[in-house]
Amino acid sequence: MKRPFIDRELINDENNENAIVVKNLYKSFMLPTEKSWGLKQAIFNRLRGIKGYHNQEVLKDISFAVKRGEFVGIVGRNGSGKSTLLKTLAGIYCPEKGAITINGNLVPFIELGVGFNPELTGRENVYLNGAMLGFSNAEMDQMYDEIWEFAELRDFQDQKLKNYSSGMQVRLAFSIAIRAKGDILLLDEVLAVGDAAFQQKCNDFFASLHGKQTVILVTHSMAAVEKFCDRAILIDGGKIALDGSPKKVAKAYNKLWG
Amino acid sequence: MFAILYVVFVKFFKWGGDIPHYAVYLLTGTVMWNFFMESTNQGIHAIVMRGDLLRKISFPKYIVVVSATLTAVINVLINLVVIIIFALINGVTPSLSWLLVPLSILELYVLSLGIAFLLGAINVKYRDISSIWEVFTQALFYAVPIIYPISMVAATSQKAAKILLLNPIAQSIQDIRYNLVTDQTITAWNYIHREWICIIPIILVVVVTFLAALYFRKKSKFFAEEV
Repeated sequence: MKRPFIDRELINDENNENAIVVKNLYKSFMLPTEKSWGLKQAIFNRLRGIKGYHNQEVLKDISFAVKRGEFVGIVGRNGSGKSTLLKTLAGIYCPEKGAITINGNLVPFIELGVGFNPELTGRENVYLNGAMLGFSNAEMDQMYDEIWEFAELRDFQDQKLKNYSSGMQVRLAFSIAIRAKGDILLLDEVLAVGDAAFQQKCNDFFASLHGKQTVILVTHSMAAVEKFCDRAILIDGGKIALDGSPKKVAKAYNKLWG
Repeated sequence: MFAILYVVFVKFFKWGGDIPHYAVYLLTGTVMWNFFMESTNQGIHAIVMRGDLLRKISFPKYIVVVSATLTAVINVLINLVVIIIFALINGVTPSLSWLLVPLSILELYVLSLGIAFLLGAINVKYRDISSIWEVFTQALFYAVPIIYPISMVAATSQKAAKILLLNPIAQSIQDIRYNLVTDQTITAWNYIHREWICIIPIILVVVVTFLAALYFRKKSKFFAEEV
């Protein structure tokens, strides 16, 4: 098993117009073929001369660059490598080959409400979630009011999270996501949550982001891609199939599998 | 647990006859051993238990292990207060050497942190390492003079007693007993007369923890995909 050293570089360069540069990115996973996987099984497999896993190539030679302030949509089928790409950008997975350069502060939202604790109050959860995203308490103090204002749940801020309805929980989580003051926002299937009124609010917010914030959005909704994105990337089988205007990509997506 | 140990070993077996305050001596040993067990076990499972978090956000992985083991530290500090109360009731005179006790606890903690780093990292991929560690610690328990006084070993073989004392766990527990309970305790320092041998346990702790931390750092990049 050969695993070269990672290349994920973080820079903070105001003059550099690129927010994210990805060069020849490869990523593969070892998927175990056995039911249980322990030291015992590893020894047995060695004796029997089998590997016990097979190599699944997920990303093959991905290269692209995202400019500052660009709203980029990433689309593709289930299992085509969208989320892997996003997680690699977020630094959760390390790339196998290739290089990633991130310019600025990156805030990933692979899932809403990571680490929410039902036993804590809404207030504590906001700070906890902020801490997990790498914000200090002082930074969270600044964002705090905006988060609750957007969520429209101010009356509940000192209630325990377990007493929130599930809709309220995602609203809170979503508000943290979009109010987090990062230079780059990574969103995975996180678009509009809650009731119709709140969804409208989310949509308006995304529309207002245009040109101001760098956002990478993974989604299956072509309507959203056409509405919000400046550019879209279609991923198929771990490769970039098309990189161009949202209209063109939506058309190609619908034609391929629509 | 402690009550049974006390009745069986002190009242029935009459072990530890020549050691004053043997009840406190025994209690100190079991508390410190439990601390070691708790911190290593918590630390080994920490990464796997927090797998959901690791897969969602990127943060320094060692925090998970450190936070898990710190629970054990808090517990041992509370237990230390209980031991001190118990010691005072038992008639142990307070002395300045009590201030050295946290140092030995720190040594024990650094060792368990090292073990937690190493085995925790392995446990991500090979989940049965935690069961192996459980069996191993059961064996280790009898190799550390906790329920028996080391003088019993020394009476049979001085060499064996010296080797036992080179185990960092035994060395630190004996130090804690020496400083906290009674200076009748045999420690590595007063039993082994060559100084360079005495520091072997401490070197062992530093080396194990350092190598484990290096291994953990190397492997931590792959935790998210393997957990």
